[in-house]
Amino acid sequence: MSVRMIEYREALREAMSEEMRRDKRVMLLGEEVAQYNGAYKVSRGMLDEFGARRVIDTPISESGFAGMAIGAAMLGLRPIVEFMSWSFSLVAADPILNNAPKMLYMSGGQFGCPIVFRGNDGAGGQLGSTHSWCVEGLFSNVPGLKMAIPSNPYDAKGLLKTAIRDDDPVFFLESERMLAAKGEVPEAEYLIPFGQARVCRVGTDCTIASWGRPVHFAVDAAEQLAKEGISCEVIDMRTVRPLDIGSVVRSVKKTGCLVVADQSWSFGSPGSELAAQVHQHCFDDLDHYVVRVHSADVPTPYAQNLEAEYLPNARRICEAVRVVTYNT
Amino acid sequence: MSIKLTMPRLSDTMEAGTIVRWNVKVGDRVQSGSAVADVETDKATMEMQVFDDGVVACLVVPEGRQVPIGTLIAIIAEEGEDPQQVAASNAAAGVSSAGGGASLRSPAPEATRAPTAEESSARCSPLARKLADHYRIDIATLKGSGPGGRVIKRDILAAAGVESTEDMPLGDTGSAAVLGSAAGTEGITEIPSRSLAAITPGAIVPIVALPQPTIVVPGREIALSGMRQTIARRLVESKTTIPHYQVSMRFAMDAVLELRVMLNGQLEPQGVKLSVNDFIVRACAIAMQTHPYFNASWAGDRIVIHGAVNIGVAISLPAQRGGGLVVATIHSADQKGLRQISLDTKALAEKARTKGLGIEDMSDATFTISNLGMFGVDNFTAIINPPNSAILACGAAVEQPVVRNHQLVVGHEMLATLSLDHRVIDGAMAAEFLQTVRHNIENPATLLV
Repeated sequence: MSVRMIEYREALREAMSEEMRRDKRVMLLGEEVAQYNGAYKVSRGMLDEFGARRVIDTPISESGFAGMAIGAAMLGLRPIVEFMSWSFSLVAADPILNNAPKMLYMSGGQFGCPIVFRGNDGAGGQLGSTHSWCVEGLFSNVPGLKMAIPSNPYDAKGLLKTAIRDDDPVFFLESERMLAAKGEVPEAEYLIPFGQARVCRVGTDCTIASWGRPVHFAVDAAEQLAKEGISCEVIDMRTVRPLDIGSVVRSVKKTGCLVVADQSWSFGSPGSELAAQVHQHCFDDLDHYVVRVHSADVPTPYAQNLEAEYLPNARRICEAVRVVTYNT
Repeated sequence: MSIKLTMPRLSDTMEAGTIVRWNVKVGDRVQSGSAVADVETDKATMEMQVFDDGVVACLVVPEGRQVPIGTLIAIIAEEGEDPQQVAASNAAAGVSSAGGGASLRSPAPEATRAPTAEESSARCSPLARKLADHYRIDIATLKGSGPGGRVIKRDILAAAGVESTEDMPLGDTGSAAVLGSAAGTEGITEIPSRSLAAITPGAIVPIVALPQPTIVVPGREIALSGMRQTIARRLVESKTTIPHYQVSMRFAMDAVLELRVMLNGQLEPQGVKLSVNDFIVRACAIAMQTHPYFNASWAGDRIVIHGAVNIGVAISLPAQRGGGLVVATIHSADQKGLRQISLDTKALAEKARTKGLGIEDMSDATFTISNLGMFGVDNFTAIINPPNSAILACGAAVEQPVVRNHQLVVGHEMLATLSLDHRVIDGAMAAEFLQTVRHNIENPATLLV
């Protein structure tokens, strides 16, 4: 069987296009998604195939078009809202946090909100502190929403298809640093259920849990540590809401220690939540307390060298693993 | 859990204290407030009280010995604990007793210094503690290799002489949900791959059938109004006891529409506005003269032909009045002109939609007409309104291509469908009746004079 390698952005496009062919209620809107084929060419060709009624260019008005799409979702459509960057979603905080995730609850079950918000998350490479937001710490705090953060093309496609079919609002976090990354994606249709982590490297000495772009840092760290004789098990969480804590618990019971690599800031983050849950479930299995590797607790620097050092990079993950395995 | 008594801080400047005298011996019962010992501090000799109830299991520090504050000096077994076992297990952990009650007064100045509570419990990782239990290793005998002397897994394994913990059963995963399962593997789907780019996706997750996307709004229950109960009862009775069948015919409506425009134009100053339905009522009413079986009722052992021609007109009610429909009766419609039929119908409809019809307004209909043309309906079938034998269902007069005199032209046509009681009326009779009504409609002078 031949192996088909496609880019992360193509995987996203395939997911959206397949779902739009399957379900007429699915539509895409956002800045430059139609005429310009997407600011990052994720939606290339979709205007030609689906027409201007289903692939809609919006003004630069996140609060307006996100709110409009939420109304459309309440009345039965299944909009996909592309934020050019999740950094720009902050001006739409009221509709996406105050309306979409609460609608089912506040309407007493009368209105759901089957919507997908997607876009680039995290430091994209010298974009400065206002355009480098990791929103997972802020937004995963809100009950009523789901959050997927795929690290590779295969997961991006399978999770996005699941997100579009989900009856709840899904926050789908991508990264411009991964859009051009290629990975194997089969021709045949598949879906990846939410709340199911994936072991992307098996090991015995230390568990590293991560999601999104830092999964790559974790894999790099694991390769380096293997040369030092430390065997790491890397788990890609894939979704943080729901969080597949069971998979991490099983791994930690084997290795006795855990390092969490999380691109968001440390205070009140998915990483701190994961650590707290592991301490709860694995108290007697831990040989060391959980160590978290986050972005540094400062606004994202602009300078290239500082940005690289700010991120939860492979070197910092290696240091953390040596600490929790007492190999310092 | 046994209670460990430590040398208390009895004054601000106290750093160490001397047990001058034990006031209890092993096996004595103490309770909160008991003065168990006299302790000499840098300032004075004071009583030392306990704050718990129990039995003295072990006196660790002998009389006459000075120890720093915080040092373990005695152990008390709580209710339900065996004092001897408590003493024994503490002895195993390296706490040596100062001796039995009989030897208390024989100080042993260089007795082994007991480890502090902190030393004996805090410097050990939870995993190491669990492994020590498993391999039956006394943690107190180990020197920890972790930070601050913490005993860690490595130290236990070394003491036990094993390489790894693979022989230990994994514990239960607690309350954590292990989500998902794929191809027989439980929880985690393992991909023994070194890099993400080389993942073999086919092995990861099978296609999972997700529910079809829908927004589910919960259903609700509506209590039945009296009218809705009557409609339900009568129509079920009609549909289940009357052998219904339908016959349809298409009427050319151009002539009657033209006439209606003309008449309404001329009669406007008099406040008369004829509807298409008024013409149909009139056309049916006068057809009864030659088709009496359409103005009849099935009576079980006979057929009753009615004398008066009373045409029922179905009127839908607005939602704010609870919805539903009523059939208003235009009495002796065959003796009324279009103007009177129109006035009667308007008055009944107005009354039905405002204050409601009285019994007399709804009684004695002998034939019924239901018209959904104003809603743009092309065609439908109606259920007979008992004790009628027939009901006429009228659609809209639709402008459409029609063939007239072998020419394709634009005309208006209406599809009329009779529902009939086959016990009273046969198909050919229905066809003849419709032909008469069609003739009346298509040659509307008949309706005027």
